[in-house]
Order: sequence, then structure tokens, then C-alpha cells
Amino acid sequence: MMELSLTVNGRPFAVHVDPATTLVEVLRDELGLTGTKIGCDRGACSACTVWLDGEVVASCMTFALDARGKQITTIEGLAKDEQLHPVQQAFVDHDALQCGFCTPGMVMSCAHLVERNPACTLDDVRGAVSGHLCRCGAYPNIFKATLAAAAAMRQRKSGGGT
Amino acid sequence: MSTLQWIDAKSVDEAVALLSADAHGTIAKAGGMDLLDLIKEGIVAPTRIVNLQHIDALRGVQFAQATGLRLGALTTLAEIAGNSSIRERYPALAEAAAHAATPQIRNAATIGGNLLQRPRCWYFRNELFHAARQEVGREQAQYGAIFDNSKTTMVHASTPATALLAYGASVHVAGKSGKARAIALSDFLLPPDFNRPRDTALANDEVLTHVSLPAIGANTRAAYHKQTERDSYDWPICDVAVVLTLANGKVEAAKIVAGAVAPVPRRLTASEKALVGREIDESVAAEAARAAVRGATPTEKNSYKVPILETVIRRTILAAMA
Amino acid sequence: MSTTDQRDSRTVLTGIVGDSLQPIARNIPTDEPPELPPNAELRVIGKPVNRVDAIPKVTGKARYTYDVQLPGMLYGRIVSSTVPHARIKSIDTSAAEAYPGVKAVHILDRILSIAQLRDASAEANERYPLVRYNGQPIAAVAATSMRAAKAAAKLVRIEYERLPHVTNLEAAMRDDAPVVFPGPVEQAATAGGGGAPPGLPQKGNLRGPARGGLGGGGRGDVQQGFAQADHVLSREYRTQVQTHTPMETHGLVADWRDDELTLYASTQFTLSVRDEAAQLFQLPKEKVRVISEFTGGGFGAKFGIGNYGALAIHLSRKARAPVRVVLDRREEHASVGNRPSSLQRVKLGAKSDGTVTALQVESFGTGGVAAGAGVGFCHTAMYPFPNVSTEHYDVFIDAGPSAAFRAPGQVQGIFALEQVLDEMAHELGMDPLALREKIDTNDVDDARARKVERRIGAERAGWSRRRPPAADSGPVKRGIGVAQSQWAYIVHGTMTCEVRIRGDGSVIALTSAQDIGTGTRTVMAQTVAEELGLRAEDVDTRIGDSRYPAGPASGGSRVTSSITPAARNATYLAARDLAARVAPSLGAKPDEILFQDGRVFARGRPDRGMTFVEACKKASFDEIVQRADRREDYDGYRAKLGDLHISRHGIGGVQFAEVAVDTETGVVKVERIVAVHDCGRPINPKLIESQIYGGVIQGVSYALYEERHLDPGTGLQLNANIDQYKIVGSREVPKIEVHVIEQLGRQSSTDARGVAEPANVATAAAVANAFFNATGKRIRTLPMNPANVLAALRADGGRS
Repeated sequence: MMELSLTVNGRPFAVHVDPATTLVEVLRDELGLTGTKIGCDRGACSACTVWLDGEVVASCMTFALDARGKQITTIEGLAKDEQLHPVQQAFVDHDALQCGFCTPGMVMSCAHLVERNPACTLDDVRGAVSGHLCRCGAYPNIFKATLAAAAAMRQRKSGGGT
Repeated sequence: MSTLQWIDAKSVDEAVALLSADAHGTIAKAGGMDLLDLIKEGIVAPTRIVNLQHIDALRGVQFAQATGLRLGALTTLAEIAGNSSIRERYPALAEAAAHAATPQIRNAATIGGNLLQRPRCWYFRNELFHAARQEVGREQAQYGAIFDNSKTTMVHASTPATALLAYGASVHVAGKSGKARAIALSDFLLPPDFNRPRDTALANDEVLTHVSLPAIGANTRAAYHKQTERDSYDWPICDVAVVLTLANGKVEAAKIVAGAVAPVPRRLTASEKALVGREIDESVAAEAARAAVRGATPTEKNSYKVPILETVIRRTILAAMA
Repeated sequence: MSTTDQRDSRTVLTGIVGDSLQPIARNIPTDEPPELPPNAELRVIGKPVNRVDAIPKVTGKARYTYDVQLPGMLYGRIVSSTVPHARIKSIDTSAAEAYPGVKAVHILDRILSIAQLRDASAEANERYPLVRYNGQPIAAVAATSMRAAKAAAKLVRIEYERLPHVTNLEAAMRDDAPVVFPGPVEQAATAGGGGAPPGLPQKGNLRGPARGGLGGGGRGDVQQGFAQADHVLSREYRTQVQTHTPMETHGLVADWRDDELTLYASTQFTLSVRDEAAQLFQLPKEKVRVISEFTGGGFGAKFGIGNYGALAIHLSRKARAPVRVVLDRREEHASVGNRPSSLQRVKLGAKSDGTVTALQVESFGTGGVAAGAGVGFCHTAMYPFPNVSTEHYDVFIDAGPSAAFRAPGQVQGIFALEQVLDEMAHELGMDPLALREKIDTNDVDDARARKVERRIGAERAGWSRRRPPAADSGPVKRGIGVAQSQWAYIVHGTMTCEVRIRGDGSVIALTSAQDIGTGTRTVMAQTVAEELGLRAEDVDTRIGDSRYPAGPASGGSRVTSSITPAARNATYLAARDLAARVAPSLGAKPDEILFQDGRVFARGRPDRGMTFVEACKKASFDEIVQRADRREDYDGYRAKLGDLHISRHGIGGVQFAEVAVDTETGVVKVERIVAVHDCGRPINPKLIESQIYGGVIQGVSYALYEERHLDPGTGLQLNANIDQYKIVGSREVPKIEVHVIEQLGRQSSTDARGVAEPANVATAAAVANAFFNATGKRIRTLPMNPANVLAALRADGGRS
């Protein structure tokens, strides 16, 4: 077992883990942050997507020890002060989810995209979620929602909006 | 109970020393993608992990027009795909990196680990078949080799390797007492084998430090295509990298490599010969492609790969010229 | 609760809004609420209201079974067979039991979900259940961590006596094939459908023939029919095994206490979990409580407790602690359901003018160790062909059991039927739509819907631009195709909704039904809100608890058709109750009181009204509680199979597909789907569109990519993962255009019907027909992956 300090959603945590433990196992089983899901546990469905120093990673394929010293952002840390992230709000408005199980991961990837590239295109959105699986088939609305959120962010950044 | 130990190596020498001390139970880890997969599938059970992530000497992308490209072993696939020098000078490599795995995996997977990964053969990836220590189910190899497949139908899983081979890349490894060696990638990759701990020339006590690519001439054209069933995220039916050097509109030299069609990525010398000294058009490209698939020995389930490979070679040659 | 059998004849407008609505007389139970007008005149029903439980889903707060963490909870890990067919000689659990952290080990003494021997005595003396597929659960371990449970599970030693096995449909059909079951078997339906007709003959691995199905069996004389035909086509179609692959795998958390068993279940039917657990563990139903806050997809496979659930309960009882058993992805693929394969030999006879004279179908399908691999009811139910014969055989192999899967059987059947009709249209030189126009003439709602849908779809899809087959000269060839859908309109037999209006003006609606992603809470909230003049988000919907009034299964596309009438009926009663209390203060009679836009007022006097909350406070009551049932359809049903009540009317749908076929690589891309559908009265266009997207995308995935691969030597599923079991990803999603018609069938107080399954039925056939239009070649084998496509393109003509 090894002692491990992690910074999750801006807060420090210390846990004891076996070195083979993955980041998602720590988030879910040790920290109770069950918003991050495991769909395949092999990095092939991306339901476990979190941000590591602002980059999307598959937390099921990340050794927890590799997350030391990095800023970990999970779905629980995306909304600020109960204010939904524009991508979260757009997912609600455009019904970009059905069963909802892949949704936290999808939101993390789409939010990453629009923050990086508010001028993103449909192809960019398809690319951003190309490693995700939504078995319910919410994709068309995920595309619409993400593009709408990007438009909202552009407007906000340009100081526009009402 | 698990007794897995984790050590953060501070230097290449320390990592080599740790690997030398226990060549069987110790595994070096870079991005950890394949290692985690193999551990989860019960195919490897290391007692000690030597983490290479904190060794700065293994990082960095360096490009110089005169000497070429140097990729530290820890360079991620995302870094390769996004690096402007690589995109400009080694576009086939950038494309190959961009089409490997998922965005999430590309952010963590390293080029070193990518070259060292084990095959994705569905027999290899199941511990049930490791008890027998041999490949089984050859007739199910619809994604397997159509050349050189008398011993195994498993194919090497790295797709960046296809592009790296076309650029004449070498792999650099460090061993005991500071001993470093460079190995041509074509010699480094070995046919996948259940009975070996790895499918490369890397020794148990060596660390892959970097990959080097020779300088690229001004008249070089290159293209890469990974043919899949799906565009989102898929393993290849085949992938092809083409690197052409032109002189007066004619091909002076050609390197064409196909992956996922033989146990190791296959240099298509017959195609290369068909191009050298000629101006490329549809029919020349088609002729070169045809030459490549002569002598294919597909199984009943993977014979469909032969015409696909031929198509992809032809299209990729033309794409390089476009 | 309303129980009267009195009926009165009401004149109601029925038909398709925007097409034709006719007044007809219908006998309706006296206490049913007045008929709703078309959606255009409503405020909440029929509007694209946001999903009421979307926020917990986008913030990660939604708690799935997989997320349940209870104090002292243990983690269960299943030990599965590693051989395809064997007698278990011994099981040694001692090392597992001694492993640190292990609290309980349990060995299964019977296997659920698979076909059961008609004569159980044949294997009554076996010490352990026989192993009949690789991945069959045998035992399970509960430990304080998943890591410990996994390590301990590996220490369970099982000694097998191997028996000959067979994992391939055709091999299993041979006379000398190894036999999966030693005698005839039976398979009861689950609440989600499936199952097989009882008492059929069985020889070797072949069980059947089954004749008919929901369509009521064959009719006429096919030989005579073929004799009358000018053209007869004989074709063979093959479909593959598809696994459900819900994102949340099957799982159950069992908390066994002396006084009560609480089960947290990822399920499509809370009450099926309760009933099966009560039966298996011999508990009174009221001592079993099932909770399902959110279910991460099901698609037909999540009914009952399953072997994993039985193990969780056993372990919890033994360990005296809550135990969570959640399958990993490999176990999910291999052991908890799939859509059976099919081999369909179809013969179709028609006259030169398109009149179909006979249809004969002989089909074989394997659901592994489960029965019920039929190919649907479309052959007899969809078109009024005079002569029809269907014979179906289940073929057993040593592979995981099938389960109901989004329009079970019908997806396979329609793939063949709608393609052979396309082939006949081509043979006759007829437009495929004109052929459908000629033959789709049953006097039922689905046929009426499809007639309108063909017209709308043809226009939107640009059918008139359709070119002759193989019109493109380059290697990439494009084409367009059409196929029709049919699914049963199903109502759940036992359906009660409770509505509470509290003195503070808050409104609560309850049902035991769960949500698998279709929007159970939302459609219930909309229905209640409409009646009370509120917004959907004003209604607190409580679902997914077996203690609430009995709700439907999420299977058979029956949630909305079952819940909304009950919710409306209960709300109607509550609203009338409230109206009576409020009327005096408004100086009006109760039946003059209206609820609109959050206000309560007397008809014609909106200015003198008050808000809903004010009205409740003024009326000064603690709580108004009303329960009501979903009444039977006003015209009754064609069949009642337990709680599965099936209307004479079906649900239609027509889909148009545009594809691009790369004839050199064999890669097919579906570029566009126009999906025109009906679901009675559409309750929520936004959620319906989502359902149709999902159905189409799963249909494309089935058509092009998905296929289970078994190793012949071991019976192991080779691609039991997400990357090599290939499913549509973001870049394979076509442009999908959805159009939904509003059809008022006037069979219930909301006229709502389902759409989840209808949306999935026609897609593969539409894609196959578009493939023919693109290439001039037929593809009769799924999936349309490069290997199968290149083989089809090489084939001689369109006939092989």
C-alpha cells in the first residue's frame, strides 16, 4: 500500500492505495465521487473521462499514482457554485442524454472542447467524443448541445449577450 | 494479498539498475496504458513497477532540419499529433499518431509504450489462452496477418510504427553501465509471440530512451492512411505509410510500409520498385499496389483484407502526391 | 379509485392530426376524464419539455445501482465457467474463503435465465448445475474490497469433466452435433417479452417448429398462393448475434435483514426484481423492497434478478452485510443476454401488379442456451397477405442466453421481409413505395399511420431523386432505400398512479416504474401538470420503488402508454377534488373551475382567480390523495399475455436511408436517415426525438458493425469488450431527420403509445435496400462489414 495525495476539484485528499489502483477507483471507492463512471474499464468507452491538469484522460487507464501533483477535475467539480457549466446546461436544454450513464464523461470531453476551442465545428465535436460510447444514441443532441454551448461561450467572451 | 511495489525512478541509470536487479518481476512503466490493460486481463502480474514518468531525460521533441527528429520515449501521441514541426515535416507520423486510439488515450500513451505494446489479438488478450502458451484459433483471425503468417497470424499493434518505419526511424535504448545502443526500428520489432515477454529486441534490463528519425529532404512527399471499419475509434484492417523523394517530377526513392497485414509492419519493396524512376499517376499507383499484394497468403476469414490493402496502398500513394 | 364498468357512448375525433380527423362514436367508461384535444390546444402535453431529471445526470449526482455505497457494503465477484460444456466434478472454495477480507462464498445451485428442462429429473442427480456455456456463473465471493474479491475469486478451484460442445448455428443443426440439452426444454417469457411457445417438439438442438406468434399463425395455402403468382422469389437472409451492451452493466446491491430484503437494482422492471427474489428466496413480496433511482440502459436485458442478483442476495444473507454485485464488461457480453441470430429462408410470390399471393418463411435462430430466437410477427401481422406460412426453429448452442432486445424478433424478421419486398418491387419494375401502398392495407392504426408516413418521408428524403441501381461510376456508390416498421402497441395490465396535492401547493406523483433513459419521470410530470395547469417541473415525480403504486415494465415500449393515462386519471380526480374545495371562494360551481398557467379560476373569469399555491392554501387541506388505474383500452385488446396487453392496432413507422458504399474497401457509411414515426399522441416531442435517434443509431450499428465472435474451441466470446465488439461511435452517426405524426387512436385518456422499439425495427432493412440502390447488389448477411460487403459485391448478380 502507498500513501497518496491528490488534488481533486481543488481540494487535497490523502488515501492509502495498492499501487495497481486506478484513478477512477480512488475517485469512486475512496472519495465517494461516483459521478465518474466505469463503462468498460479498458479505456474504450471514455465514460470515466476526467481532466488531469486540464487534459482529458481515461481515469480507468490512469494509475492513481500518476495523478500525484496534478489538478484532477471531475464532473462534480465542473459546475461552479451550483451554476451549471454552459455545456451542462446545453445538455439539459437539448436533451443530450438518455439513460445518463455516459453523460458525465461526455460532458467532461465536450466542456474541454468548448473551453479550448469555442469556435469548434461539428467535426471537432465528433472528434472530441470519438472515444466515447453512448449506447442510447444521444449523439445528435450531444453535437447540437456542444455547438450551442460553444456559441454561448463565444458570445460571453466577446462581451455580447444580454 | 498484492505485494506490488512502485518505484519512481529518477534517472535512466536507476531504472536500468532496478530492471537488472529483478528482470522477471519488474516492469518499466511510461504511460501505463498497455501495462494496465495486461494487468487487468491477468496476462502480466508484475511484483514491481518502475515508473519512468519522472525522468526528464526521456521527455522532449527536438527537431533540426539537418539532423532530423528526436522523440523522447515519454512523448505522448497527442504531442506528436499536435507538434507543428512533425505535422509539417513528418506528416505521415503526425497522422498515424492522430488516428491511434482515443483522444483520452493519446493524451497519456507514450511513443515508447506504443512501440512496446503487446498485440491486440483477441486470443493474446485473454488469460485463458495463456495457460496453453500458444496462439490458438487461427481460423478466427479476421483481423490478422495476410503475409508471413505461417507461424502466427498476430500482428504488431503499433500504428505509429508503420509511419516510423517509412521514415527510417531508429530506436535508442539504454542498458547496464551506461551502455546505449541504437537499433533500426525494422530490426527492433519482432513477430508477436505468446512465449516471449515482449515483441521487440529490447532486453529485460534495457530502457527505451528515444526514437530518432533522419532528416527529411526538401522534395519529400508523404501520406498515411489507417483503414478501419469505423472512423471514431477502431483497430486497423491495415494501415499504409508512403514516403516518396521526388526529382524532376519523378520518384527518386520510395518507402512504403503496411501495418496490420504481417506480424511486423511490412516494407512493400515491390511497390517501391514499381514507383522508382516513374512519374506517378493512377495507373502507376495501381501497378505498385498490385505488386504489393502478390504472394499474400490470407486465411479463409481474412482474405477480404487483400483487396483492401491494395486499395489503400494505391490511394495513399496518390494522396502523397496530392 | 375508479372501478365502475359503466360506459357511455361519446363522440370523439379520431385519426391523424393534419391529415384527417373524423368523429366516431366510442364506448368509454363513464368515469374516464374528457377526451384531450389535439396537442396544439394543450399547454404541457405535446410540448418539448426538458427532461425533468436531466440536471442530476449532467452533474454526476444521479445515483445508479453501480453508485450505491452502503455502510459495511461488501463487493461481490462472480466465478464463471472457463469451458463451454461440462459437468462440474468438484468445487474447492477453501482458499478463497481463507483470503483476507473475504466474508462469504456462495455456489449457485440453479441457473436462471436459461432454458429449463421439461423433465427436470434428467439432471436431478447432478451435484452442480451443468455448465452449458463459457462464462456461465458458478459461484461468487464477497469481500471488503473489489481487489480482494477478485483475487479470492481466482482461488476458487473447479474441476470439470468436459463434454462435447457446439458454438455454431449450422454445426448445431447437424444430426451428429453435440447436444446442448439432454431433452426438451421450455422458456417462460420475462416481463420484457421473449420466451418461447411451450410444448414444442425438440430433436437434438432443434426446437420447433413454432408457427405464428402474435400474428396468430399462418393462414391460407401458400402452395396455392405461389401457383397464382407471376413471380416467386426465394431468398436466404442471415443476421448475427448482437449484445445489448448497456453502459451500466447489470448489477444488484442486496441488503438482507431479518425483517426485510432491500434490493438496489439496475433494472427495467422493479416489480420483476421483487417477484423473482421473493419467489427464489421464498419471501412474502411485501418483505422485498426494490429501489431503482436510475438505470444506465437496458434495451430488454434487465428483467428479474438474474444469476448475479441471486448471488448478491445469497452472499448478503451469508455475510449479514450489504453486497454489491456489478458485472464487468466481459461478463455483461457473455452472460446476461443478446439478440439471437437468424437464418431466414423466405419465399415470396406476387402477381405482376404487385399483389402478393403468398409468403413462406422458414427460420432458424440461436439464442445460445435460451429459447425464443424467433423472427417476429411481421409476416402475418403487417400486411394482409392471403397465404402465409411461418415455421421457426430455435437452435441451441453452447453460448450465453439470449434475452428480449429492443423489438425482439421483429428486427430480424423485418430485415428479411422488407428486403424481399424491395427485391420483389425491383423484379416487378415497381417503385418500392408503390408496392407498399398496394399491400399495406390492414384496417388498423399502424397501417393508417404508415400511409401518411410514406408520403411525408418520400418528400423529406427526396425519394423522387432516387436513381436506378448502381448509378455512380466511381468506386464510392450512393443510394437510397426505404423500409417500413411495425411494432405492437402494448399496455401494461397492472398500472396505478398516485397523485398527491399538498396543502402548500406542492404536487407529487408516484409509480413503482423505473427509468432506463426513456423519460418516465418527465412524461408523468407533463401529464399531471397539464391537468393542473402547472409546469412539468412543478411536479415532484417519485419512481423506482416497489413500495409505490404498481407501474409498468420498461419493455415493449409501454411505459408512456401505460403511465400517462393512469397519471391523468388520478390527477383528474385530484383536480376535481381541489376544484370542489376552491369553488366556494371563487363563487363558482366546482365544474366551472379551471386550472391554467399556474392559476385557478372559474370559467370566463380568469381575472378573479388566484395562483395554484394560493388556491391550495386557501382551501386549507392537508393533502389530497388520489389513485387511479390505467383503464383497459376502450376497444379492448387482441391478446393478454399476463401483464402484456396487446392491442389489435400496432405502431408504424417508415425509414429512408441514404448510404455510400466504398466498393473497394467494403466500408459502408450511412449518411442520412429520414425517420417518420407515430406513437399515438406524442407526449414529449423532444424525448420522442431522442428515442428515435437512439433506435436509428442502434439500427445502423446492428446493420453495419455489431457481431459477437465466439472461439469455436472454447466457446469464449473473443470480443467481449467495447473496442472489438464494434458499435456506432460519434463519427458513424448519420444525419437523422425525425418527423413524428400525431395520431389520436382514442383508446385511453391520453392516447399515448410507445416509440422506442418501432424506431429500431426498420433501419437495417432500409440500409440494405439503399445498399442495393447504390451498388445493384444485394447484401443479405449482417453486419455489412467489409468482409461481408466485399463478398456480396463479388457475388453473381443480385440473386445469390
